Amino acid sequence: MYPEDLKYTSEHEWVRKPGEADGSVRVGITHFAQEQLGDIVYVQLPAVGDAVTGGKTCGELESTKSVSELFAPMSGRVVARNDELDSAPERINTDPYGAGWMFELVPDDPSVFDGLMSAEDYRAQVEG
Amino acid sequence: MTPARTSLYNRHAELRAKFAEFSGWEMPLQYSGVVNEHTAVRERAGLFDVSHLGKVSVSGPGARAFVDSCLTNSLDKIEPGHAQYTLCCDESGGVVDDLIVYLRSDDDLLLVPNAANSAEVARRLDQAAPEGVQVRDEHRRYAILALQGPAADTTLSSLWIPVGHEYMSFVDAEYNDIAITVCRTGYTGERGYELLVPWDDAGVVWDAILACGEPNGVEPCGLGARDTLRTEMGYPLHGQDLSMDISPLQGRSGWAVGWTKPAFWGREVLLAEKAAGPARRLRGIRSTGRTIPRPGMAVKVDGADDGVVTSGTFSPTLRVGIGLALLPPKVTEGAEVKVDIRGRSETFEVVQPPFVKTSPS
Repeated sequence: MYPEDLKYTSEHEWVRKPGEADGSVRVGITHFAQEQLGDIVYVQLPAVGDAVTGGKTCGELESTKSVSELFAPMSGRVVARNDELDSAPERINTDPYGAGWMFELVPDDPSVFDGLMSAEDYRAQVEG
Repeated sequence: MTPARTSLYNRHAELRAKFAEFSGWEMPLQYSGVVNEHTAVRERAGLFDVSHLGKVSVSGPGARAFVDSCLTNSLDKIEPGHAQYTLCCDESGGVVDDLIVYLRSDDDLLLVPNAANSAEVARRLDQAAPEGVQVRDEHRRYAILALQGPAADTTLSSLWIPVGHEYMSFVDAEYNDIAITVCRTGYTGERGYELLVPWDDAGVVWDAILACGEPNGVEPCGLGARDTLRTEMGYPLHGQDLSMDISPLQGRSGWAVGWTKPAFWGREVLLAEKAAGPARRLRGIRSTGRTIPRPGMAVKVDGADDGVVTSGTFSPTLRVGIGLALLPPKVTEGAEVKVDIRGRSETFEVVQPPFVKTSPS
């Protein structure tokens, strides 16, 4: 449920290195997060070219009942977004680490990645 | 305070429900997911535990006439064996609650108010009741199961539970020596039934319906789907679309007021409001884009802060954001309004609910 090759944040994002785009990392939300949110019916992702700040809001996720904020796991520039989620946001529920990816960013400081949580640490956080 | 639990709590937990507290009750919010459960009700059928709803009995000689002189709708419109949607207002015309009245006989009625307001409805009636009429708050006398959707009839028939009676009528029956009352009603817009079952016997009936319903695609459904289903129909939810501050006329519920009755609580104020025209009206709004309105969001008409969203969600059927909003009376169907969605101004079309066409009969 928490792949070993990913890094995690306390705001329930996962980060994969490398992303598809040059020098980028790929970002999504975890299995735990999608389960907590329930059916995701609308996502607002940052646009390509946006500068995002680590730990700050960069988008929104809406389920039938509630709205949650999407946080940037690290500072950088957005170089790709998953346009498929506009018409099929349920992919975040069904495949959070695959087809449900959200965006890619080129980090300002690539070394921040190494300081993110490991799968083991993240699992410990959510499973208490 | 620890939330109350229905007699089906353990079954919900076994079905791995996600729970949420609702009016002091720990209720299943969802099982497999809101969208899946919603679709099950529209296409097949869904089983809901709505035992948190209140049960207030009013009995004794003249009980019917007494209730008719308090609540808004006219009990003259129905015969014993029928149920009716009605409102309990206060003298200022505010809505204390909306509820269903089961008319068993002229001397015996059962009221089903919302969980949060049940005690208050019972208190007001008890205070006003004439000699000989008893008002009893019997919250845990009955569990209430709602089976809603096109497969409801087939499923109940296979358990020899009577179906096919007229909309808003009820019949008494037995299942495995358990006395049940089966009413053709619901809160989803689909054909369906609500079953009153003695509190401690609900599990047997719940299990039987789920087992017999499985081949028909019946699924357990939580309050999350109940809310998206009722919103698609434009049915008001008390506390959001009707309240002490939102009168029946404002809240699209004037049809549930017996305007020609000589007496009901709030009559003078409501008649005056009817004559003057309500200052605002509840209307449907539908996103022209991809955003979802939420209760409390401001609605702008001609650039001014003119209205407020009272209910809003994603419509799983239409796959678009829908809601109910209190708007100035001049804003009618077809108009465009702007909803302030967390600082963004988004365009919505004013529409006449229901948002979704169903075939409840």
